[in-house]
Amino acid sequence: MKAKKIVAVVSLAVILAFGIYAVVFASTLPRTYEGKTNVVDLLNDQTNYDVSNPGGVADVIVSENLEKTMAANNVAAVVFDFRGYDTLGESFILLTAIAGSFVILSKAKKHKKEDDK
Amino acid sequence: MKFKNGITEKSIIVKSGADMMLPFSVVFGIYIILFGTVSPGGGFQGGVMVAAAALLLYLGHGYGTAKSAINTEVLRVGEALGATLYVILGLCGIFLGANFCRNIFFDNGAVGDLISAGTITFMGYSVGFKVLTGVSFLLMLMMSLLAPDTDEDEEEEEDEE
Repeated sequence: MKAKKIVAVVSLAVILAFGIYAVVFASTLPRTYEGKTNVVDLLNDQTNYDVSNPGGVADVIVSENLEKTMAANNVAAVVFDFRGYDTLGESFILLTAIAGSFVILSKAKKHKKEDDK
Repeated sequence: MKFKNGITEKSIIVKSGADMMLPFSVVFGIYIILFGTVSPGGGFQGGVMVAAAALLLYLGHGYGTAKSAINTEVLRVGEALGATLYVILGLCGIFLGANFCRNIFFDNGAVGDLISAGTITFMGYSVGFKVLTGVSFLLMLMMSLLAPDTDEDEEEEEDEE
């Protein structure tokens, strides 16, 4: 019991140390947003909005998909490559949903049999 | 009409309809999973189509037949296997020096081939396998609530008690 506690404390301390290191390291990285466009001004005065490419992201994906992923189906490329995290979450939602319904339904089956008796 | 082992005789129309649709649903679902990167469709849609075969079996032949034909333990393990396979394929990117879910070896095969586009194809297969086993496991669970109790189940319970 004591050894388990020590292992848990040590592993939590290691995770905390790595988290602090990651935060310190990330604070030194350059900003991803350059600050060239003022979003509030753009929302107030939309005449400056760049409309030269009306398709937006969809056009970029359709035109550059083949050289980036080589997948003939654009939807598959978006679901499994560009948004791989999203699909991971979706499939784990299904896993948890089925695990939960397994617990509930097997209990309900037992109760139903007891009621019948 | 009721036989032994909880198998109920259904109407001939329902039975033949289910028999007719079952192979099509299995084969077409597997086709949709396999060609997810090339044509419309993908893992989720094809997996649900294959899982519908369990429902057709139940509709046509009752819970006893569905239970004897489908091994639920394999389905339960298979779902976890598919999820693990997806995570491993996502981790391929980290092992090869890029970020998670990065498509590293995307230049294998020509555009439109069955095995092309790197990890996208195999991620589609793993998600298809996961959804196929998971949804059919869920359907079998729901069917077991609807079905009348068979003698075998009661014997098993008495042994457990």
